[in-house]
Amino acid sequence: MKRRILLAAPFVLAALPRGLAAQEKKTLAFVVNVSADFWTIARRGIEKANREHPEYNMEMIVPGQASAAEQRRIVDELLARKVAGIAISAINPGNSTDMLNRAASQAVLFTTDSDAPASNRAVYIGTDNVAAGREAGAQIKRALPDGGKAMLFVGTMDADNARERVQGIRETLAGTKVEIVDIRTDESDIARAKRNVEDVLARYADINLLVGLWAYNTPQIYQAVKGAGKEGKVKIVGFDEDALTLRGVADGTIQSTVVQQPFEFGYQSMVGMVKYLNNDRGFIPASKQIIIPTRIIEKSNVAEFQGQMRELLRGR
Amino acid sequence: MSKKELGLALLLIVIGGITAALNPLFLSGVNVLNMANLIGLFGVFSIGQGIIIITGGIDLSVGSMFALLGVILVDLLVNYELPWPLAVLVVLAAGLVLGLLHGLLVTRLKLQPFVVTLCGLLIYRGIARYYTQDSTTGFGYAGDSLDTLTWLASGRSFGIIPNPFLILLVVALVMAVVLHRTVFGRYLYAVGRNEEEARHSGINTDAVIIGAYLLGGSLAGLSTVLLVFYTSSVSPSSFGNFYELYAIAAAVLGGCSLRGGEGSILGIVLGTVLLQILQNLVNILGIPSSLNFAVMGGVILLGVVADQQLGRRRERIQLHRSQATAAAE
Amino acid sequence: MEVLLELEGIGKSYPGVRALDGVSLRLHRGEVLGLIGENGAGKSTLMKVLGGVVAPSEGRIRIAGHDRPSLTVPEATQAGIAFVHQELNLFDNLDVAGNVLFGREPVRGGPLRLLDRRAAREKVEPLLRRLGADFGPDAPLAELSIAQRQLVEIARALAAEARIIILDEPTSSLTLSETARLLAVVKELRASGTGLIYITHRLGEIMDCADRVACLRDGRMAGELRRDEIDHAAMIRLMIGRDLRALYTAPARAPAQGGLEILGLVTSAFPARQLDLHIHPGEILGLAGLVGAGRTTLARTLFGIDPPLAGSLRLDGKPLRIRSARDAVAAGLYLIPEDRKQAGLVLEMPIVENVTLASAPLYARFGLMRRGAEWQASEEQRLSLRIKAPSSGTRAGALSGGNQQKVVLGKWLSMAPRVMLFDEPTRGIDVGAKGEIYRLMRALADRGVAILMISSDMEEVLGVSDRIAVMHEGRISGTLERDAFSEQAVLRLAIGSEGAGTARKQAEGVPA
Repeated sequence: MKRRILLAAPFVLAALPRGLAAQEKKTLAFVVNVSADFWTIARRGIEKANREHPEYNMEMIVPGQASAAEQRRIVDELLARKVAGIAISAINPGNSTDMLNRAASQAVLFTTDSDAPASNRAVYIGTDNVAAGREAGAQIKRALPDGGKAMLFVGTMDADNARERVQGIRETLAGTKVEIVDIRTDESDIARAKRNVEDVLARYADINLLVGLWAYNTPQIYQAVKGAGKEGKVKIVGFDEDALTLRGVADGTIQSTVVQQPFEFGYQSMVGMVKYLNNDRGFIPASKQIIIPTRIIEKSNVAEFQGQMRELLRGR
Repeated sequence: MSKKELGLALLLIVIGGITAALNPLFLSGVNVLNMANLIGLFGVFSIGQGIIIITGGIDLSVGSMFALLGVILVDLLVNYELPWPLAVLVVLAAGLVLGLLHGLLVTRLKLQPFVVTLCGLLIYRGIARYYTQDSTTGFGYAGDSLDTLTWLASGRSFGIIPNPFLILLVVALVMAVVLHRTVFGRYLYAVGRNEEEARHSGINTDAVIIGAYLLGGSLAGLSTVLLVFYTSSVSPSSFGNFYELYAIAAAVLGGCSLRGGEGSILGIVLGTVLLQILQNLVNILGIPSSLNFAVMGGVILLGVVADQQLGRRRERIQLHRSQATAAAE
Repeated sequence: MEVLLELEGIGKSYPGVRALDGVSLRLHRGEVLGLIGENGAGKSTLMKVLGGVVAPSEGRIRIAGHDRPSLTVPEATQAGIAFVHQELNLFDNLDVAGNVLFGREPVRGGPLRLLDRRAAREKVEPLLRRLGADFGPDAPLAELSIAQRQLVEIARALAAEARIIILDEPTSSLTLSETARLLAVVKELRASGTGLIYITHRLGEIMDCADRVACLRDGRMAGELRRDEIDHAAMIRLMIGRDLRALYTAPARAPAQGGLEILGLVTSAFPARQLDLHIHPGEILGLAGLVGAGRTTLARTLFGIDPPLAGSLRLDGKPLRIRSARDAVAAGLYLIPEDRKQAGLVLEMPIVENVTLASAPLYARFGLMRRGAEWQASEEQRLSLRIKAPSSGTRAGALSGGNQQKVVLGKWLSMAPRVMLFDEPTRGIDVGAKGEIYRLMRALADRGVAILMISSDMEEVLGVSDRIAVMHEGRISGTLERDAFSEQAVLRLAIGSEGAGTARKQAEGVPA
């Protein structure tokens, strides 16, 4: 046991100073739902905001498990530490109103990435996922002008962003000849995400298009399609900007990917909270939603986007 | 082949038969090869788990070891640009070191394996997440210098056979010889069944147990390489989550008793095959993905109950037979 | 005399086996019925019928005037039948009172059903006093010796107001003086009107306390002996259907020099005591003493399981260092442990793997086991030791106690024994197999092996040993040559009273 404790000691020590500093400066916390490159990009936005406002201590907190319970614990601890502001991507916003309201009563509360309109949050800064789903729907229509069969892949369907994206896709495809065969979930197990794709390719010889709803789904689709030698025969539409996804877009295997701008989530949330704490609320629209538009990355603009990403993710 | 393994094989055939009857695509070449690949991936570390279970121990930390060794592997290859044979060796050695650590804690400090590896589960994942600052690492921006290793770990040989499956065959063969033919294997079973007696026979039981954890650790290291190249990326908070349970399930299905001293390599491999078929049939039959775990749990329970009942019947029959011979004497 | 229990024509068939056949038995108030028979004769099946665990195929059971074809467990308990088992059925994690009153704990607090500890203590204390127990109701069970635990079991039977107490091999783990005390308790119970069935392999105890003896053989009642008919020879005749030859066979040649010399050994059991002992090649040295005298610890220390605190060993004149069982095995010093199921055998493994477990590397080439060679070695042992099993592939757990002990022996005989330590070698083994074990020990001694036999069975110690050393609280209190053997002499040394008349002290045996 001793050996392990010794091993862990440097990490504990390294984590300490940050906690101490928190007592001197006001802290703004950015609580995410799960660990992903997506949030690494948001972290760059937070870092940029922190450079502009060094009088604040800004941190990003990643839960060990993508569970509402774990997130609740994190928020309770932040409140106990008396942080000044929290921006959160709530895992289960519909049922977390209590927790969010408690946070809102003790600190500035922003929601990001997934909104909780029923709560007392000051503002939502993030994507409109239904709109993003519509964008993807349009891409699907463009890929299958004569109709066809499509399959959707996602981690779990109990996440709001998954449901909203699916809703947007369905809205757009209503009345077209594109049929959504099914949605396959993998409980965030990446290996299972890949096997789901492999199994679909094995079972449905006539499948025309695969959609990856979460960041890690699209690269697994890309790899499985390549592994099965079905590049071009099976079209792919994805979400987010995983490096492999972008590579797939560049080589033409992936038709296009709908990307959000997490850098802006991080940056605007932090800057917004600073403004809010300084009693500047003019930036909040009446809808209390600041929608960061999504972008379509396709072969024509992928090289430039890859460059940006490499820049953002470098030197972590 | 023991009766236990025969029963398991029968169960496999029945379930496979039903699935194939419902959807013939189950037996299509593509699907079978996909499954072979996954069986390879999960089989290697299930064997390691099985060996540890045979000594009466357990390793709950394998899933977290995958995350930790996985981020180390990616980091070495992508950021430090180490030559791949060296990086793979480092990962295998790291698995060995973790196994040694477990073994020493279990034997020298007499800690319970469950506790030791539970701590490992928490610690390794924590370190992996801290080390990567919780971000997913992958080969996304890496060049093509890893082609050989990519092929070795996730490619196909002879045109069609997935390499992980071939690797599993080799590992299973070697481990079967080690377990069922060598002195070490004999000691392993003896220690698992009755450590006290093994010590009374002059066996260095500590060394045997440490040996099992070493094997488990190095097989976990090997699995890490295969798994990382299957997904091409490692997200430290979810990579390998629950995989220790897949391994334990495969070992138990394959006839390992959690009390130790029982089980065979063939059984563990068959157990892995069954688990993978179960996951596959959910997709092939179009059963909602959300039922995946429920189907798996249900069939395992069924298998274990059936085995228990059949085992009891066998025992009763044997008892009667031995009583009959005793009475005849 | 009032009849408490009457069995008539009890039979029990399993497919292919007739475990009991027309067994009739009566037990009176205030009577001790000795029940004897070899292992497998049907004693335990009969007891299971009485306990309600097994329903007989035919016959009837009459308890307190009621006839019934079979009993259930609660019916048996209600009828006042209680068991004191060979393997004790007690809870290590409770105290004495908790064990005695288990299942009928006094409660208070109405629906809360809180344990009433005081009432429990008051109930249990007089029971313990009656049994002459030297511990109180609050003593944690884990701290009690086996003999004390047996008293707890008897107290439990008394607390249940049992009218029929069945003692199944109660003394197999007890020392001589503890056995004497238990027999006194048995007589006290008899005097108070309880009916007792006393099952044992130790015929001396039957002679001491039984009013009547019933003997089972092959599932049938082989016969009964009245009080005045009970003697050793008669009982053995009933059990095995013939006369047993005398136990003792003289050594083929005089004990040689060398062997194992134990010099100033201090074991963890008695850190303040030193011990010297010399076991000669070719002799069987019996080691008697009370349980807790440190005999088993001595054996475990010699074998390298428990580390010694001080002292040295010499084997055939050369210094011997033993840090683990591996060293002992390498030197040819082997232990047949007291608890063979725990430390002597791997029950789930076949005979062959048990026989070669300690010497597996000898049967391996390049680390791979040579199955043929292994099998051959095991078959040799099976045949020469006459282990009753179809082949070496039979699981050790399926064998009888005597045959299991032979497998343990086979493990060491397949190697090169120089010193063998037998710890209670015939515990739980029936009379027929006992004789075989004794013959094997003698044959080993005649091959020049030095043998130490730890035994709590007086008959065995006196009947088999060439010389007896007696241990008392961690040291050797005296050794007896064969012409000085007597039960009194051994007992006197065992309880530590000095100057025992017939005991001839040996210079090597008693440290100054």
